[in-house]
Amino acid sequence: MKTIEDLQKFYNEELIKDLEVLETKRKKTLSTVFAVLLPLLAVIAVVMLFFSDKGSNALIFIVVIAIAVIFLIFSLLTRGYVSTFKDTVIHKIVEFIDPNLSYNKSNYVTSSEFMNSGIFLREPDRYKGEDYVRGILDKTNIEFSEINAEYETRDNKGRKSYHTIFKGLFFIADFNKDFKGRTLVLPDTAEKLFKGLGKMLQSWNISRPELIKLEDPEFEKHFAVYGTDQIEARYILSTSLMKRICDFREKSRKKLALSFVNSRLYIALTTNKNMLEPRLFRTLLNFKLVQEYFEDLKLAVDIVEDLNLNRRIWSKQ
Amino acid sequence: MWIIIAAIAVPVLFIIIMYNSLVGKKNKVNNTFASIDVMLKKRYDLIPNLVAAVKNYMKHEKSTLTEITELRAKAISPNISDEEKVDLDNKITGALGGIMVAVENYPDLKANQNFLQLQGAINEVEEQISAARRAYNATVTDYNNAVEMFPTNIMASMMKYKQKPFFAIPETERANVNVNQLFE
Repeated sequence: MKTIEDLQKFYNEELIKDLEVLETKRKKTLSTVFAVLLPLLAVIAVVMLFFSDKGSNALIFIVVIAIAVIFLIFSLLTRGYVSTFKDTVIHKIVEFIDPNLSYNKSNYVTSSEFMNSGIFLREPDRYKGEDYVRGILDKTNIEFSEINAEYETRDNKGRKSYHTIFKGLFFIADFNKDFKGRTLVLPDTAEKLFKGLGKMLQSWNISRPELIKLEDPEFEKHFAVYGTDQIEARYILSTSLMKRICDFREKSRKKLALSFVNSRLYIALTTNKNMLEPRLFRTLLNFKLVQEYFEDLKLAVDIVEDLNLNRRIWSKQ
Repeated sequence: MWIIIAAIAVPVLFIIIMYNSLVGKKNKVNNTFASIDVMLKKRYDLIPNLVAAVKNYMKHEKSTLTEITELRAKAISPNISDEEKVDLDNKITGALGGIMVAVENYPDLKANQNFLQLQGAINEVEEQISAARRAYNATVTDYNNAVEMFPTNIMASMMKYKQKPFFAIPETERANVNVNQLFE
């Protein structure tokens, strides 16, 4: 287990060198961005003045195009910087946390795994991801990455728009017990809103397997459990695991959904933040920043310990 | 005319729904009770293997081993009551716990691959038994609620349905959980 003190030492002795190199690159990238975007903004302003008497529709059109162009140019200009940053700094932090872990900035958890989890009912039409980490921690195989899954709708004019199914951290681990069925632990929205009536609504949810009522009131307050087998679900969700899941929910402060399928554990942690990204407008030479990357990664890596997945006292080794 | 039909049909429909839900709940209780039996049977099947695996190592625990073999023989004999079954089951749990603690004194045994596998299987069965008991208690809660709560309680009293007892976890077993943690 790496502590903050270890990280401080690692930062002072190793990471700082890379960060200094990157800091120069950041300043260079920033000045290029200004050098390109400022004249561009001026051009856009002139074009807008030119079209100002053509009515508001034309203006809106220009603004939309301009924003798209600015975003495109911005990402093109910063791409090299972001990529080098991830290859050096994030890569090193991942290896610092545990040498058995490997990092790939552009890879991600596959969409078939995402659907396998059974947490999400809707098949995504647009599926993206980045910051993929995988490895074996003692006896437990893990992988996780950021995922952004969206579905597409069209209005009556045929215009496409995308809606989020899930955005956040998607985590998969080998579970320490064998089982055949499917057990879902979903955030409890109905019960929070409607109290007792929520239970009834949950049991009528036909798109999910059978509702399972567990005895831990704290756990039941935050989660609704569905499963294909009442006994198997309780075999998986032992009293101690329910407690650990509650503690993890508290610690992560995020919307949390879990599923247990094919002897594997899937966890979907919803976040709005795009994690592990470098900053451009402020300095990189800051320990707090490194600590943030470290903590984002640790949250996922520590699931193995938080949920005691290395405890292999059952027949599965 | 329609009002009269509705006045008859609606209560009848309610009675059918209440009746069926009560029967369903009762059957679920029986069903989960039977599944505890299935898990217990799995445990009984493992006991001879365990005894065979440890008897050459454990010189001082001969009496515990004979005791558990006898208990198992009694537990699988066909004509015993539910109370006896529960009682025997608790005794077996205690004896198994005792053996598992004694294992600590035999390093050779702890290193034996066969034994380790067996130990894993036993831990698994214990956890499954506990899961089955919890499932049973959950269905009993559901059933008891229906028997006691209005309006199903009226129906239940007409059907002579009575509250069912929970599966209490015996003291020995609570202690057993700590014993298992020795092997972490």
